[in-house]
Amino acid sequence: MILFRRVVIFTMNSVCFQRNFAAALSPLVPVKLPSRMEAHLWYVVPDEVKSSFLLSNYLDILSPCEKENVSRMRGEQLQKAALLARVLVRTTIARYQINGQVNPRSLKFKKNIHGKPELEWDDDQCQCASRLQFNISHTSSLILCGVTVDSPIGVDLEEKQRKLKNNILAFARRYFTPHEVKFLSSISDPVVQHQHFVKLWTLKESYVKALGRGFSGLPFRMFTIQFRTTENGDSCPSGETNNEGEIIVKSLEDVNSFSSNWQFALLELAGSHYAAICMEKDEAVEGEVPTPMKLTVRKTIPYVRDELISGPDAAVISGLT
Amino acid sequence: MASFTGTTARVSCALKQGQVPSSKISNVRSVSLPIGGRSFPSLKARRFQVFCAAKPETVNKVCQIVRKQLALPDDATVTGDSKFANLGADSLDTVEIVMGLEEEFGISVEEESAQSITTVQEAADMIEKLIGKK
Repeated sequence: MILFRRVVIFTMNSVCFQRNFAAALSPLVPVKLPSRMEAHLWYVVPDEVKSSFLLSNYLDILSPCEKENVSRMRGEQLQKAALLARVLVRTTIARYQINGQVNPRSLKFKKNIHGKPELEWDDDQCQCASRLQFNISHTSSLILCGVTVDSPIGVDLEEKQRKLKNNILAFARRYFTPHEVKFLSSISDPVVQHQHFVKLWTLKESYVKALGRGFSGLPFRMFTIQFRTTENGDSCPSGETNNEGEIIVKSLEDVNSFSSNWQFALLELAGSHYAAICMEKDEAVEGEVPTPMKLTVRKTIPYVRDELISGPDAAVISGLT
Repeated sequence: MASFTGTTARVSCALKQGQVPSSKISNVRSVSLPIGGRSFPSLKARRFQVFCAAKPETVNKVCQIVRKQLALPDDATVTGDSKFANLGADSLDTVEIVMGLEEEFGISVEEESAQSITTVQEAADMIEKLIGKK
């Protein structure tokens, strides 16, 4: 009860806010930066965040512009998801404590020419800080933030059960490449076909997001995603959730080139979602094997609880060899 | 006489020499219009659009398609100003909405345009522009 009263009294002074808020709840646990070719994934399950006390304090972390955007969402669930997405980004980045203690409220963001959100640092913080990259994605039931150092990253989430209003093959013929249509057409089981459609969609989204171009900056028909099994090198729609091998992207503008700069991972997250991660590869040093992608997955309710996730809640489907 | 007092104004009907735009002003990025031989000062911005606002029937049809795609409850308000993202549409929804519009209106939308449509009104205006070109 005393803790509650202290939080209610907080002023607009950000230091005071931090002290009081932190006093009422657990402080953000600081985390070391990811290493090269490592991505940290943080996710929130909106349904697990029920406390209106917590949500109203979360709202105070946002910038006025972000609060405005949240309020424009039509409906409580959409507002909550929008709020949690911004809270996840701000609190996650604050954990890395760039240049000392960072208050999540003080972070600034800008957009690149295609609209991809990026961090904006003051001149004196720039040196180390500008290396931190992030990307978020959310559905109504899960919010994901991926963080890397140096490497551009794109993440995309989709509910496994996400239904298309259109026929899958009609959709694919309209928006995907002929190779991908052929791949999907070859799958006779409609459930497996649907799963692979969703996987393809998330992988393609993660690629254009990693490039910072988004769907309108790079139409999906301009590049093909292929699953390459290690044995025969052909695409194989096995439909199993064990490791389906390597995921590669091929630009259709230059048919002979593989866009080999980019590495993908596909996960099944929290049992309910497919998550695709796309990162730029480490430059291979002559004669050395390039560093493989490493993922560290954490589930969080900021200021309440963090949990390192492995096993079935973050099951790798493809891409991490 | 139209006066542009801010950076947002959309001229929503075609202008002939000497004619004053009568429709509601909403949302222009930059405009420099000769009216009666005189140019308005051009506002600093990047894009420039002058076109007729879509017919209400078109706007209504778009609203219907959006409602269906996003499975909105009956009491949810959807109007010309409604932004897809604010209604909960993600990129897959937007693409499906565009595909629905293509089927409904018999048009073909470039991917580059598809994701630049952010509101019902923009979708309706684009549809009529594409129908006009056919």
